[in-house]
Amino acid sequence: MFSKSKPMWGKKNKLKSSYDVVLIGGGLHSLATAYYLAKEHGITDVAIIEKNYIGYGGAGRNTAIVRANQRTQYNVPLYKEALDLWPVLTRELDYNLMFNNCGNLNLMHSEAAMNAARMNVATAQFHGVESHLIDAKQAKELVPALNISDDITFPIHGAMYHPPGGVVRHDAVVWGLAKGAAKMGVEIHQHTEATGIQTKNGKVTAVVTDKGVINTKQVLLSAGGYSAALIHGFLGIKLPISVLTIQAMVTQPLKPLLDHVVSSGAYHCYANQTLKGEIATGAHMDPWPNYTTLTTAHYIKHQAEALSEFLPALRGVRFMRIWGGLADMTPDMAPIMDGNEQVEGFFMDCGWGYFGFKSCSAVGRHMADFMATNTCPDILKPFALKRYKEHKLMGETAALMSYSPDN
Amino acid sequence: MALTITCPICGKRNGYEFRYGGEEKGPRPDQKDLTPESWCDYVHMNRCVAGIQQEWWFHRDGCGSWFTIFRDTTTNLEKETPEAKE
Repeated sequence: MFSKSKPMWGKKNKLKSSYDVVLIGGGLHSLATAYYLAKEHGITDVAIIEKNYIGYGGAGRNTAIVRANQRTQYNVPLYKEALDLWPVLTRELDYNLMFNNCGNLNLMHSEAAMNAARMNVATAQFHGVESHLIDAKQAKELVPALNISDDITFPIHGAMYHPPGGVVRHDAVVWGLAKGAAKMGVEIHQHTEATGIQTKNGKVTAVVTDKGVINTKQVLLSAGGYSAALIHGFLGIKLPISVLTIQAMVTQPLKPLLDHVVSSGAYHCYANQTLKGEIATGAHMDPWPNYTTLTTAHYIKHQAEALSEFLPALRGVRFMRIWGGLADMTPDMAPIMDGNEQVEGFFMDCGWGYFGFKSCSAVGRHMADFMATNTCPDILKPFALKRYKEHKLMGETAALMSYSPDN
Repeated sequence: MALTITCPICGKRNGYEFRYGGEEKGPRPDQKDLTPESWCDYVHMNRCVAGIQQEWWFHRDGCGSWFTIFRDTTTNLEKETPEAKE
C-alpha cells in the first residue's frame, strides 16, 4: 500500500527554467511563505528548492513548543498572531496539526527573575496575550510534579504562566503546509541544492541549482541554520549570526504526569510530556559555533541533573532518543527579515535561533505580503538587518548573548 | 562532538575549558575614520563558514591565554592550516 501512495504535496514536477518566485529552503518559513503567496496573493508560479527533504532541518529538530510570551513590543504581536493561527490553519489546511494548548510555565528562580517576569507579563497583557505571574505554591498546584523545596540548586520562586501556549505537531505543520501550497500550484523540489544567486545591476536574475539555472526576479532565502553561510557564499553579505548545534531528547514513555510545558532559564532546561507519554526535553547549545548536529554526553549529564532536581519524579527514567540540529543565533535574540535592501528582489528570513517554529505561520504570511507587494509590512520593519548598524538592537534578552565575543 | 583545543601554553585540552572568542576578523578598526558600518562589521558580522575557519579562543579554565586556531566547523576538528587537507 505504501508504494502506491502519492506524496501529499503532489507529483514530482520537472524543474522549469523560470518561476515568478523561488524560495530556497524547504522548511516551515518557506512552506508558509509559499502557502500564503498562493492563497492571499494568487502568486502560484513558485518553486521551493530544498537540498534534502522538506522538514529536514529546524522543522524537525525543534521540540514543537509554541508560545507568545516574548519580551519586546516588536516580537510579542508577531508571536501572538502565529499562536492564533494554529487553529485557523488546522481548518484551512484540513489537516490535524495536533495543537494542544496545554499552557507554558516559565519557572523563575530569584526575585530578580520575578521582577523581569513582571515586565514580561505586563508587555504580554498590554498586547492581549494571556500571561500571569504566579508564586511557587500556585505553580505546584498546576504541576504537582514540580519540586518547590528550597534544597535544590535553583529553588523555584514562582513562574510566568502563559495558558494559551502549548505544543503543535511539527511534522504535521510541514506536511499540512506542503499539501496546502502544492494544491494551489506551488512546486516543491526536494533533493535540489541551490548553489548560487545571479544578479545584474543590483537585481536578482536567477537562482543556480544543481539541477539547472532558474530565472527569477524574486528569491527568498530562508534555510534555517544554513542561511547565514549561504547568504555570505551567494551574495557576500555578512550577517550577525552564530550557528550553533542545539540538542534535545525524549525519555521512555510514562503515564501522564506533566500537562504543561515547563521551562527554566536557570537550569537551562524545558520539558513537556508528549501525547505518546515521552518527556520531550531540551535544550543545550554547544558553546561554540559548529555545523556538526552531533549529540554529546556532556548534555545528557546536564539534562539528567536538571530534570532530577526540579522534576524529581523523573529520577531513574531512561532517555530513549537524543538528536541535534542547528540554531542560528543573533546577538539580540531576534530574527532578521529583510528584502529589496541589499539586492533588489532578494529577501531573507533567518536568525531565528530556536524561535523559528513558533513563528512560522505568521512570518510566512507577512513575508508573502512583503514579496507580493514589494512593501515591507509594518510588523516586520523593526527586524531589518540595518538595525545592527544603527545600534538599535532588539532587546529580546536584557543583555547581549554570550554566543559571540562581544558581550 | 567532543572538541579538543590546543592551547599554545597548556597543549591539547578539553574544549569545555575554553571560551569561544569569535571569528578572526583582522585588527580592530582605527578610531579615526570609524563609521557605523565598519564598527558594526567588526563587532557583529560573521561569515559563518561551514568548513575551516580561523577563530579566537580564550583558555578560561586554564592559563588565560588568547590565541587563534583553525577548526573545521562541520567536524569540530582542529586543523593545522586554513586549507582543507584530508
